[in-house]
Amino acid sequence: MFLAFFYKMKEMGVPVSPTAFLTLHRALANHLISSLDEFYTASRTILVKSERYFDLFDQVFAHHFQGTELPDVEGLAVDEMARALLEQWLKDPKAMADALGMDEDQLSRMTPEELIAYFKERLKDQDGRHDGGSKWIGTGGTSPVGHSGIHPGGMRVGGLSRNKSAVKVALERRYKDYSLSGPLTQAMVGEALKRLRNMVPAGPRDQLNIDESIYRTMKNGGEIEIAFDRRMKDRLKVILAIDNGGWSMDPYVSVVQTLFDYARAQFKEVKTFFFHNTIYDTVWQDAARYRKPVRMAELFRMDPETRLIVVGDASMAPYELMSRDGSIYVQDRSGQPSIECLRLLVHTFPHSVWLNPVSAAMWNYTRTIMMIRQIFPMFELSIDGLEAAVQHLMAA
Amino acid sequence: MTAQSSNASFAGATRYVLDEELAQIVNISMALEMPLLLKGEPGTGKTMLAHAIAESLNMPLIVLNVKSSMKLVEALYQYDTLTRLNDSRFGDSRRDVSNIEEYIKMGKIGQAFVADHRTVLLIDEIDKADTDFQDDMLDVLDQMEFDIIEIDKTMSARHRPVIIITSNAKKDLSDPFLGRCNFHHIAFPDPKMMRKIIGVHFPDIHDDLVDNAIAAFYHMRELEAVEKRPATRELINWIRALNADPDFKPKRLAKGDVPFLGVLFKKSGDYERANAFVNRRKMF
Repeated sequence: MFLAFFYKMKEMGVPVSPTAFLTLHRALANHLISSLDEFYTASRTILVKSERYFDLFDQVFAHHFQGTELPDVEGLAVDEMARALLEQWLKDPKAMADALGMDEDQLSRMTPEELIAYFKERLKDQDGRHDGGSKWIGTGGTSPVGHSGIHPGGMRVGGLSRNKSAVKVALERRYKDYSLSGPLTQAMVGEALKRLRNMVPAGPRDQLNIDESIYRTMKNGGEIEIAFDRRMKDRLKVILAIDNGGWSMDPYVSVVQTLFDYARAQFKEVKTFFFHNTIYDTVWQDAARYRKPVRMAELFRMDPETRLIVVGDASMAPYELMSRDGSIYVQDRSGQPSIECLRLLVHTFPHSVWLNPVSAAMWNYTRTIMMIRQIFPMFELSIDGLEAAVQHLMAA
Repeated sequence: MTAQSSNASFAGATRYVLDEELAQIVNISMALEMPLLLKGEPGTGKTMLAHAIAESLNMPLIVLNVKSSMKLVEALYQYDTLTRLNDSRFGDSRRDVSNIEEYIKMGKIGQAFVADHRTVLLIDEIDKADTDFQDDMLDVLDQMEFDIIEIDKTMSARHRPVIIITSNAKKDLSDPFLGRCNFHHIAFPDPKMMRKIIGVHFPDIHDDLVDNAIAAFYHMRELEAVEKRPATRELINWIRALNADPDFKPKRLAKGDVPFLGVLFKKSGDYERANAFVNRRKMF
């Protein structure tokens, strides 16, 4: 039962496991589910394990049990418009009929699918022949999308009943907000970086060491002696080097800012440096990259156990990376290409990563990203990427 | 499915407003004897749910507050070596020093297992602990038994507790963990639901005050770039404060005059931002 539903979910990218599916069947066999509404709640709670997939689940559910269309990437723009169109149609059938050049009667006899098909046909037509001919659709597009526009048969226009049907609830797509594509918030960064620690004994001796106590007591011939240890404390050193120059980093400023804020709050010993595009022989402590330069030589003297995190889009002209005098700033003439400097950094700090806000799918299109990737282990600046980066940093 | 779980079903409690969907999820999880993992913003009543279940089903509630440094064994049992050492040295207690079992104290999970009645076990903020802890714990909860190595004894649960696990994390827990529990995400209550929640907490309060307070509250929640947005708990405290102030008139809220901002915003940055926002509105 519901095998098609299960596989549809898998196909659409909701991670569902056979075990969970069997559990759902256990619930069905035990008569815990008696209606579609209950099936919706039960299948979601049992099968879907993260709110990020609630939205997708809702869509698959609506598709399977009500036959709504699943989002298809190519037709997305048209679909959005079609949805807007339907909404318009529900509000004012007459205006819509006029706009499509049909009479109202004819329109009301069409099924929603037919209507959409007809509309798409017409729209493609229109695009071919003259631009801007579909102006009224543009205005319609501002109406809220994502609402149950696809299937007017299932929708009550005006005066919604209080008890929503499951499909109706699913169609509402209440969980759209939680989808994976959301921005990186401080809480998420915090979660990912939490495991980045290095515990060493520090502070007052206030933790009881049982083995030592027993040993010493025995040595004392039974006279109790209690031994205390220092508590384990986090003493991780972190260097954060941020590319804050140039327009290429501008779109990512807020994400990087979040990471930076969190790192400052979380780690006791975090040193932040700034650079533009790539590192030559100087980095700066101030964001303006003007007042407080730090020579590379100073950096290399730091504890090699320090975790080095470089944040940058690694996108620049190849000569900036490769050429001896590659820096775009005249005063920056170090005499060795930046790529050598990066190699030296990785060599000095074995625990280092490069976080790139550019999405990983795009990396192969930029030559300098590919080159830097060969030196630095590069991770995407996203929740998943951060987690992988942290894992890499903590690996001994 | 045991007879016990089928006849008890959860339908809300005196101080907790339950939506139907959640009630159904709780009942299904109880019937399937699976732990229920709850996620959601702070202040959406994850912890309160466990209290409400315990109250309505008349079961004792055992709370395990997870800490980052916690080891699984601490949640199961504790072998009190120090007392035993002391007893063996001075011998002034009634305990039998050669019997290790007398020095085993049950942890929270252990208590839920050995309890005479079925209990509600709340494992609060599981995300604080590391992944190993989480996975190992789920093994224990799956098998419903654990070994006490010191006395080589297996403790099995007399009654399978109703297990509620909460997590604040945006990040997902590990796959094996998720595979073993049911999941629900509690969304932040909408104003209508909030109205009911307030009604439960303040049965005889002026409608005027509540309506205005809730409107102002949702308005303040929209404020951008706030690190910790005020949640249900803050709203309840705030209404309590407004109610206690004899000079306060609900009409002032609608005009944009919001007193006691400190009750709603607890981070100094947020407070300043909210304050600036309110003052700006007052000027116009």
